[in-house]
Amino acid sequence: MTKPTARDLEALMDLFEKSDWKELDLRTEGFELYLSKDPTRRRSHGPAASPAPVLSAPAAVFGTPAAAPTARAPVAAAAAAIPANWIAVKAPNLGTFYRAPKPGAAPYVEIGQTVAADTEVCLIEVMKLFTSVRAGVAGVVRQLAVQDAEMVEHDQVLLYIEPV
Amino acid sequence: MKRLLIANRGEIALRIVRAARALGIESVLAASAADRESLAAKEADRTVILGPAKASLSYLDPRLVVHAAKATGCDALHPGYGFLSERTSLVTLCEENGIAFVGPTPTSMEQVGGKIAARELAHGAGVPLVSGSGALANAEEALAFAKTVGFPVVTKASAGGGGRGMVVARTAEELKEGFERASHEAKEAFGDGTLFLERFVQTARHIEVQVMGDGNGKVLHFGERDCSAQRRYQKMVEEAPGAILPADVRTRLHESAVRLLSSIKYRNAGTVEFLYDVERQEFYFIEVNARIQVEHPVSEAICGVDLIQMQLKVAGGEPLALEQKDIQRRGHAIEVRVIAEDPDRNFAPSPGRIRRWQAPTGDGVRLDTAMHEGAMVPPYYDSMIAKLIVHGADRAQAVQRLQGALRDFTIEGIATNVPLLRYIAAHPDFIENRISTRWLEQVLLPSYAQRSAN
Repeated sequence: MTKPTARDLEALMDLFEKSDWKELDLRTEGFELYLSKDPTRRRSHGPAASPAPVLSAPAAVFGTPAAAPTARAPVAAAAAAIPANWIAVKAPNLGTFYRAPKPGAAPYVEIGQTVAADTEVCLIEVMKLFTSVRAGVAGVVRQLAVQDAEMVEHDQVLLYIEPV
Repeated sequence: MKRLLIANRGEIALRIVRAARALGIESVLAASAADRESLAAKEADRTVILGPAKASLSYLDPRLVVHAAKATGCDALHPGYGFLSERTSLVTLCEENGIAFVGPTPTSMEQVGGKIAARELAHGAGVPLVSGSGALANAEEALAFAKTVGFPVVTKASAGGGGRGMVVARTAEELKEGFERASHEAKEAFGDGTLFLERFVQTARHIEVQVMGDGNGKVLHFGERDCSAQRRYQKMVEEAPGAILPADVRTRLHESAVRLLSSIKYRNAGTVEFLYDVERQEFYFIEVNARIQVEHPVSEAICGVDLIQMQLKVAGGEPLALEQKDIQRRGHAIEVRVIAEDPDRNFAPSPGRIRRWQAPTGDGVRLDTAMHEGAMVPPYYDSMIAKLIVHGADRAQAVQRLQGALRDFTIEGIATNVPLLRYIAAHPDFIENRISTRWLEQVLLPSYAQRSAN
């Protein structure tokens, strides 16, 4: 098995979230993943695991943080450190991610900036057609998950907002 | 060609991934969120998710598809069949962005895309069309026309279709009497009683010719297919060759298809469809399909070629290495379409999880599918889940192999048409090749329903 990409992890977490399973413990060569719907639970056997995630928000425990995304899945590797209450803003479709309305202009938002639900946070471009993406929730921008001018796929996390 | 974007799903996407791999071309699959876990996604070198499951927000958006091709560094795009495969705007977008489209030029696509334009093209290339009259003032004019083309004829309303104003006449008396009735009916339905007349094809077969063009005027054909077993214009069984054709008619048919598409220097794979009048032994042009078709494997089977690989080579600028004399047709091939629909419930779609999937194997048996045990048939798209193709030394052996392969095919978890396909393969009309385009709906399905009720 090749190392899973961050997209694989998202798919796994999605599957887990929608299932009625309580726990998922996956171990393959060079990679381990433990998911639980009980925030108090810890992996009961094997190597010590990091705190278990709560699945109301994107979070995962990476047995091997080295399972960083390749160029194929440019989601920030730091996803492991995402607190449970942060909300992910996701791409509505495949396209190119832009932080600013035009080259050289100031970005729509910076880390630490307070946003309203209807604040524009970035652009997704498809063949010169630009669509703005809104925060969707009032809060503080905590992390960008994509580099400027990078291709993103449908449902890929663009940035995280901590609700207020 | 170094890297190919595949803008499709299901068995054809998988088939293109494998054809690309065989030629040393990298593949990028552009899929919807519903197909993230598909076999094609697993086998492609890379998969990108265009958008949500809904086709209009993913597979049917030309801009998304071309953006994906550019962003992933693809130099070519294969549209498969269905979805965007015959959308001129996609071809144009590809051209503007330096991406080789695996298919015809936008000009060709337009030339053959519209029914009227295509008919004019066919006429110009000397390809036979169903004889039709202009608007007729009265029954006397209709009679005069009928005498020139011969009975039976059918009246049609100039102002609309849907069966209104249509009367089939086999004699002069029937036409005289029927004309007034049809005209009245047309006037009632459309406010205009104007009629025209067409030759009526009593017993028709759907026959089509597979071609491949190099874009410079060289057009090869790969023989014909008989796709007469249809339900609501959806093909269910396809064969090659069309075994009922007399040799001289077959030759003229091939020549017509090649003449038509070389007249526009057609590029890549295409199919010319004809209606074949069994009684008169005449064929008439219907339309051109400017794409690879679902049923291409039966032509591959009898010609011993890989049409998808050939498509990729042509799109990559390679010349057509073959000559017509190199294409020898051998034996008989039959394809059946396995669909996730329940023939006992008026073909209601039956998406869901495949619990058991036991596919047939054996001599001359090929299965094109992206399904497997545990796979999900999503509810959003066409319900075809597999194509079973058998090849034999002659039609009788092909039919036997079809019967055996269908017997060995087990699918559980969802309803499919496999029981119906078994019934077709065992039916005397099918075994003796006595079917027409109306046979499946008028003879086979009522008989199948009867059997189910017992």
